[in-house]
Amino acid sequence: MSRVKTAILVVLGLIWLAPIYLLVVNASKSVDGYDAKTVWKPAGFSLFANFGDAWSKAALGDTLVATTMYSVIAPVVAVLIGSAAGYAIVVLRLKRGFLWFVFIFGGTIFPLQMILMPLFSGYANSGLYDTRIGMIIVYTAISVPFSAFVMRNFFTGIARSVFEAAVVDGGGLFRIFRSIYLPMAGSALAAIFILQATFVWNDLLLGLTLSQSDSVRPIMPALTGLQSTYGGASLPTVLAGGLLVSLPTVILFLAAQRFFSRGLALGQF
Amino acid sequence: MSNQALDRTGARKAPLFGLPAVAVVALLLYLPFLWTTYVSFTDYDGLASPVWSGLANYKAMFSDPDLIGALVNTLLWVVGMVTLPVALGLLIAVLTYGHKWGTWLRLPFLLPYAISGVAVGVIWGFVLQPDGALGQALGFFGLPGAHTGWLQAGPGNTLMMIVAVTWQAAGVNALLFVVGLQSIPAEPLEAARLDGAEGFSLFRHHLWPQLRPITTVVIGLSIVGSLKTFDVVWVMTQGGPGTSSETLALSMYKETFVLNDYGQGAAIALFLSLVTFAASILYLRYQLGDAREQG
Repeated sequence: MSRVKTAILVVLGLIWLAPIYLLVVNASKSVDGYDAKTVWKPAGFSLFANFGDAWSKAALGDTLVATTMYSVIAPVVAVLIGSAAGYAIVVLRLKRGFLWFVFIFGGTIFPLQMILMPLFSGYANSGLYDTRIGMIIVYTAISVPFSAFVMRNFFTGIARSVFEAAVVDGGGLFRIFRSIYLPMAGSALAAIFILQATFVWNDLLLGLTLSQSDSVRPIMPALTGLQSTYGGASLPTVLAGGLLVSLPTVILFLAAQRFFSRGLALGQF
Repeated sequence: MSNQALDRTGARKAPLFGLPAVAVVALLLYLPFLWTTYVSFTDYDGLASPVWSGLANYKAMFSDPDLIGALVNTLLWVVGMVTLPVALGLLIAVLTYGHKWGTWLRLPFLLPYAISGVAVGVIWGFVLQPDGALGQALGFFGLPGAHTGWLQAGPGNTLMMIVAVTWQAAGVNALLFVVGLQSIPAEPLEAARLDGAEGFSLFRHHLWPQLRPITTVVIGLSIVGSLKTFDVVWVMTQGGPGTSSETLALSMYKETFVLNDYGQGAAIALFLSLVTFAASILYLRYQLGDAREQG
């Protein structure tokens, strides 16, 4: 029985790895040496030359810098805003706290399609369209509900006596938040950060709608641009681009697998 | 300080800490939501003022052939995503759970999940090229279909893209099912094994009933995810050829930002939201239920 199980898993696993094999092998072929009839056969190793091509042709350099900014700043700000809300609701016992929690968490129940058009119009009218700060603001807003959700649950697990002792010691409410509650929440903060950074990095729709120039446009819309402008002969370049933009999230994922499974159970993706 | 005094001090300052979250969410998520809702009942091109048009945009969704096509495709996505990746995820979870090398054998299925929808589209667009990787593999094994244009006609193109997303999503579902399996108490299972239950019968009578809650979550997530299908289709076919592989999420984008029919786009968005909301209730009941018990 166990042998049958293993056999099924190995065969299925190989099928699952085939597209990744094809991606790596063909992203490594030189643009001139690529032959559409023999995609399964490895030929040469020009991966880094192709990375370089994708980098310069799709202006991936600019967009990588911008996307890295978005994926770091927006989740950090969102985590702080979400923690503050969790602190207000659980520790400070905000009046009608559960209702406010539902209000904040409800912000991400509906699909992005519902907010795209007004965001586009609003951004166009206020000068935020196609600006880096505009992208950071929208990614932050999207990430706040989930942060608040996790932080509220996390703070619920901390004994009330911690707060009482801190107040008796004479700490202000802000200092108690900053130097007692935030440091205790390290693992939860990291989990939220990783999940939201991945979401921002992988976003296509918001980037497509709210930006256009090379220096603002996030990496996923830039990659789709590469795909439609080039193609045919320089497929290796497109594939190298696809591989390049996947590396950070794959590495992050392998390093922090358990955070992902936890986030999943919370219904994030 | 007494407990009550403590609560009073806290509660007085609490709004200050809660305000940023409430403000950001209200301004950037709820306000746009309300505007889209209003615009869905109007004729609006983004320039002139919206003109009230009642249910016209909603009627168009069910009479315009392109939009009906998108509706059917979206339905295909929902059906495809609650069957293929869920069944495969369950299979992988059951086969790897308790297996000596389970974690490693699960890895190939998890890898695609770490990749973005756009990259999945790029990879599978390449695999599915006419006479491309899939065609060559079929030819090599002497199987039919080597020269099929996988993405060149509906509904075949939608089905192949469902396969692509299955490739991405099966591992995640497996992970969720593993979490579900881990929560099943060990003793009754041991007892059943001692009674001679094994293989499929063990699964059907002892594991499956206990996996109900997690299955509900997986199916709820699959429905919600499939209704939003955009990235992979955008990259692989842009909804084409013609509109043959368009999903509602894609139609919404095209109606709004390509055709400047904001009202129509808004109606599609609201329709998607309502269906999504109904599906979300499936699994949110569990999440919010948990939250409420905790206080």
